[in-house]
Amino acid sequence: MSSLALTELLGRPVFDPAGGQCGRVRELAVAPQEDRARIAVLIVRTKSGDRVMPFSAVNSLNGGLRIDSAASAWPIADGSEGLFLLARDLLDQQIIDVHGRKVVRVNDVELHHDLSNRHPVLRVGSVDVGARGAVRRLLKGVVPMAALRALLRKIPERPIPWDFVDLIETDPARRVKLKISHERLARLHPADIADIVEDLAPDEREAVFETLDDDVAAEALEEVDPKVQKAIVESLDSDRAADIVEEMDPDAAADLLADLNEDHTSQILQEMAPKEREEMVELLEFKENTAAGRMNTEYMAVGVGATAHDAVEALRRFEGGVETVSTIYLVDSHGTLAGAVPLAKLVLASPETPLLSLTREPLISCHADAREKEFAELFDKYNLLTLPVIDDHSKLTGVITSDDVISLLRAKL
Amino acid sequence: MADRTFHLFRSAVPIYSVWSFYHPLVLCWRIALMRFLKRWKTRILLFFAVVGPGFITANVDNDANGIYTYSAAGAQFGHLLLWTLIPITLALIVVQEICARMGAVTGKGLSDLIREEFGFRITFFMMIGILIINFGNVVGEFAGIAGSLELFGLSKYITVPVCAVIVWLIVVKGQYKSVEKIFLVASFFYVTYIFAGFFAKPAWIDALVATVKPPPKAAFLLPGYLFMTIGVVGTTIAPWMQFYLQSSIVEKGVTKRQYKASQIDVIAGCIFTDVVAWFIIVACAATLYVHGYHNISDAKDAAQALRPLAGDYAYILFAMGLFNASLFAASILPLSTAYTVCEGLGFESGVGKKFSEAPVFYWLYTILIVAGAGVILLPNLPLVKISILSQVVNGVAVPPVLVFMLLLVNKKELMGEYVNSRVYNLTAWATTIIMTVLSIAWFWTLRHGQ
Repeated sequence: MSSLALTELLGRPVFDPAGGQCGRVRELAVAPQEDRARIAVLIVRTKSGDRVMPFSAVNSLNGGLRIDSAASAWPIADGSEGLFLLARDLLDQQIIDVHGRKVVRVNDVELHHDLSNRHPVLRVGSVDVGARGAVRRLLKGVVPMAALRALLRKIPERPIPWDFVDLIETDPARRVKLKISHERLARLHPADIADIVEDLAPDEREAVFETLDDDVAAEALEEVDPKVQKAIVESLDSDRAADIVEEMDPDAAADLLADLNEDHTSQILQEMAPKEREEMVELLEFKENTAAGRMNTEYMAVGVGATAHDAVEALRRFEGGVETVSTIYLVDSHGTLAGAVPLAKLVLASPETPLLSLTREPLISCHADAREKEFAELFDKYNLLTLPVIDDHSKLTGVITSDDVISLLRAKL
Repeated sequence: MADRTFHLFRSAVPIYSVWSFYHPLVLCWRIALMRFLKRWKTRILLFFAVVGPGFITANVDNDANGIYTYSAAGAQFGHLLLWTLIPITLALIVVQEICARMGAVTGKGLSDLIREEFGFRITFFMMIGILIINFGNVVGEFAGIAGSLELFGLSKYITVPVCAVIVWLIVVKGQYKSVEKIFLVASFFYVTYIFAGFFAKPAWIDALVATVKPPPKAAFLLPGYLFMTIGVVGTTIAPWMQFYLQSSIVEKGVTKRQYKASQIDVIAGCIFTDVVAWFIIVACAATLYVHGYHNISDAKDAAQALRPLAGDYAYILFAMGLFNASLFAASILPLSTAYTVCEGLGFESGVGKKFSEAPVFYWLYTILIVAGAGVILLPNLPLVKISILSQVVNGVAVPPVLVFMLLLVNKKELMGEYVNSRVYNLTAWATTIIMTVLSIAWFWTLRHGQ
């Protein structure tokens, strides 16, 4: 198996069985429905226009391409339905390097050259984003091929294996045809997805968010810079936006909706499920820079009489985010906050231990109207991970988690 | 005892000293002042809400190179170059609007688009060209810093390195956004040229006629006239501005829908730049030109244009304005160049990244500043001449940049319904052709030793 660069192949002469030159290579294409990596088709520039040639017609690649049928037998190229053209769609374009977790620009494409039944087979091996591809393209045709090859060997390559390449396609129809998805991207940490998305152009961001699952999209969206967040949600259909917002942490979702204009917010709210909508409207009514505006309404609360076993059972059924369960709250029959049990204590306790004996003293809480500075000070003073928020009647209404406080403080740095 | 009486007396009838903080008159004054400040605070805030990338670009356009070039144009040729300003304004609006539109529609920078549509090799040479031209501009900005502070008697061997370090730190420490506001407010110094223009009692009618009526053919044959014309165009429609504006639009997140506001911002900016340019030329014509000072060789000469306004203090006013303009542009130009080149060639870029994550970006930025400042430290350098020459090179480079922009903006698959209208294409192509002809004519006169 040997390696061959895409740009070395482009422009190579093509010879028909009679030995006459019938054109030059213009494009290499893969048909992603069949195989994501194998070169399926060549587009050859001939005197009678660009023609599409199946790659299986190629007998050898050395020197020029030798083929086993006459040029006139191939169809004229019209459009590129279902084909992914390497020179047009990949070369010089931006792709997502899923392994390196960033957006990079393609300088060249490395193709792997193999033989099967004495016929050459070409597969896309990796994309080159480093200096080697750049120098090759700069000097190709200017410096003799042999000298260029010797020079290029001295330059380190920066390949990204084809399996780690996520393509960005803004046209939804083409995305389906070319089977472009973001499966690999979706497996990254939401914060990394967010960083990548911030580096893309608006249309490309939209394209990525349209293909991600609701919950992945929601988690990633939470991590995106608020300005970009707003732009993304505005670009999505309101029902799709609603699906994503429903999956977001309620407090993050409320902050986001508060930034949108009113029409858009109400459109998204209408598309949401009734329960989530109610919660969201409630959160939206709170002032943003108070404890109520920052709190999360998903938290773990059990009755005062519960045991450690009951708490673990409740945890199994809990659907909220993991950051809110580091403390379990005890409430009485009126919903009044009665105690706080750190998760660590719960884990160490035997199942029948009453939770009331595990509470952390003193019980720290803040009022829904407390200012940002007040509750941030509480976090600092008592080294809290979570802080319960109560209303005028000491009823538990929500929980502020330390990650909310960290983003708040970072915004002020 | 005396103390106590005084105390009693005071508690009975509250009489405050006029200097007291609580004297009724003082109170009134304080309230008035507070109201005034509050009103101004909202006004300034409003100003920043409206001021967008277009206006900022226009302001940086009036950098040290701009001030020197316009001053020299006025001093050398009086009103003979005023006629260029109306066509230049139109061309500038068209060119800047194209960039802003491309930024809003594609969400990509100009060098990104050139790379994606024209491939690596063309982009590479384009970026090398931009690097060289922008380096000339950076040198010009440091010439401005040196010149302005020399007016205060400070040696360039101290001021230039210090300012280079300041500029470098502002950006690397991520403080650019907060400093930008100070620069913007300070750039209202340009308004002083408008006043200076009035105080200089110029030949108004002559100036206005010269603005709309092209000069006699003989003017074109004057030595240096073509050179200065290209310089004036090059300083106004500088190539770096197109890259900078488009990136700023993208970075601000302007989309197709909010594009109208940016359009107004761009147009207002362009007009503001050229109104200031007009007054600089007129002020210099009324002071330097009429008194026979045709050659501006340093900042001291250029400062004379502000004499009718500020008398013996003219040099202070001029020095502060020039210093601000130079420092502002010196912090933008190297940064914008590093971004442009890295984006085009696919290197990591961004002030949010660490040095080790984006080495090429930071090295380019650093080298531009160090080398730009270094050139100025050579002894006996004709600072103003260098500044103006860099603008002439800008002017010669305008046509190629415009050609790429026009090819891009007319691509249907890129711009959709936002491709150029015919009037736009006509204006932009005319600008390209005229600048090409001017450049060729200038080269020709160079060869024939005229």
